[in-house]
Amino acid sequence: MKQDIEKLLEKYYAGESTLEEEKQLRDFFQGPSVPAHLASQAGPFRYYAEARAEQPSLTVNKRLTDQLSSESRVRSLTTWSLRIAASVALLAGGFAGGLYYSNRFSDQLNPTETSSALAIKKVLDFDQSAQTSASERIQAVNQSYELPEASQDITQLLINTMNFDENVNVRLAACQALTRLSNETGVREALIQSLKIQTDPYLQIMLIETLVSIQEKRAVDEMQRLARNRQILEAVRLKAEEGLNRLTQPQNRSAS
Amino acid sequence: MANPLVFVIEMDLHAFKQKVLPVQGRLFRLAKLFLRNREEAEDTLQEVLLKLWTKRQQLETYQSVEALAVQMTRNLCLDKLKSHANRTTEYDADLTAVQAAGVSPYQQAELSDTASVLRRIIGELPEPQKLVLHLRDVEEYSFEEIEEVTGLTVNNIRVILSRARQRVRDSYLKTNDYEAGY
Repeated sequence: MKQDIEKLLEKYYAGESTLEEEKQLRDFFQGPSVPAHLASQAGPFRYYAEARAEQPSLTVNKRLTDQLSSESRVRSLTTWSLRIAASVALLAGGFAGGLYYSNRFSDQLNPTETSSALAIKKVLDFDQSAQTSASERIQAVNQSYELPEASQDITQLLINTMNFDENVNVRLAACQALTRLSNETGVREALIQSLKIQTDPYLQIMLIETLVSIQEKRAVDEMQRLARNRQILEAVRLKAEEGLNRLTQPQNRSAS
Repeated sequence: MANPLVFVIEMDLHAFKQKVLPVQGRLFRLAKLFLRNREEAEDTLQEVLLKLWTKRQQLETYQSVEALAVQMTRNLCLDKLKSHANRTTEYDADLTAVQAAGVSPYQQAELSDTASVLRRIIGELPEPQKLVLHLRDVEEYSFEEIEEVTGLTVNNIRVILSRARQRVRDSYLKTNDYEAGY
């Protein structure tokens, strides 16, 4: 045993001992049977075993737990504040939306500002056409000239009137009114589209004239179709050809 | 718990504690080895644990959280020692501890016998020796674990360990002889 310990000590000081052997040494030096000549070396081994048992005070653990959980409380607070912020934003958005829509609605209902627009709408409403006379509708269309600016609704109403009103004079009036509004979104497209639909020569001619006057080159295809269509009145075909020339000539000029 | 986010964080906290808190004794002892002062060691431990907490998402990517924590503790201690400009806290700490216990100078000499003498001897070892000896003989690390923490090769570790052990033995025997003679 003594021999073993001395051998182990030798290995230990050479840095060659295993963990198991080092444990043996510690156990030996902590035991009661340490021979006198080795007792002087016991100190470090006892100290290591003692030192290993040393622990931080419990306050560290408590402090840490407090700090970590307070941090998580702060975090949850931020998530709560985020939630509150989100709900406030949602509410604000809802209010803004409601305000916007009610404003739009009240604009529509505002009698002083847009009574004429309302009147136009009322008269030109497709469902109402049975009860309104053609002259009333033409008047309504002409009222659109007095509007400071055409709303989307009025524009669409005029387009519908141009395309579908049963009276050709109303349709012509609507077409004329739309010519003025050719810068509004969708009006140019509507005019081109209308050229496909209209069978009335007056309207066809007017549309061609309008499209030429606003230099709408996208109408070229439709005009070519009209110019070639034998079933169409000759006056319209000639007008279409003339329109084609006027629409394509500037192009040719710039090309040459 | 109504708030799922708080719940997740508490799960997190629980997992973190399970992973890191068992190591805290080691980290504390290591900090005390360097700083030789209990309060400072506890402060350091807390700092390290908080740093680990903020890093907890990345902890999975480390091979050994313990090795990381030990390295962090050692680096933090060395930084502190540097900024203290080696203010010798050891003396003060021992003195206050002894004074607090209300012991006579005679008892004081006796108390300082084993533990204090060895603490001083080990504390005076050069840095790699101190660390390697502590990790091996106090914390019972394998050579592989020491390698992971220190970045030294196993052969190197053996040499350093051998020198440290011999130095501790020699210093200790010298002190004992001196005291015996005294």
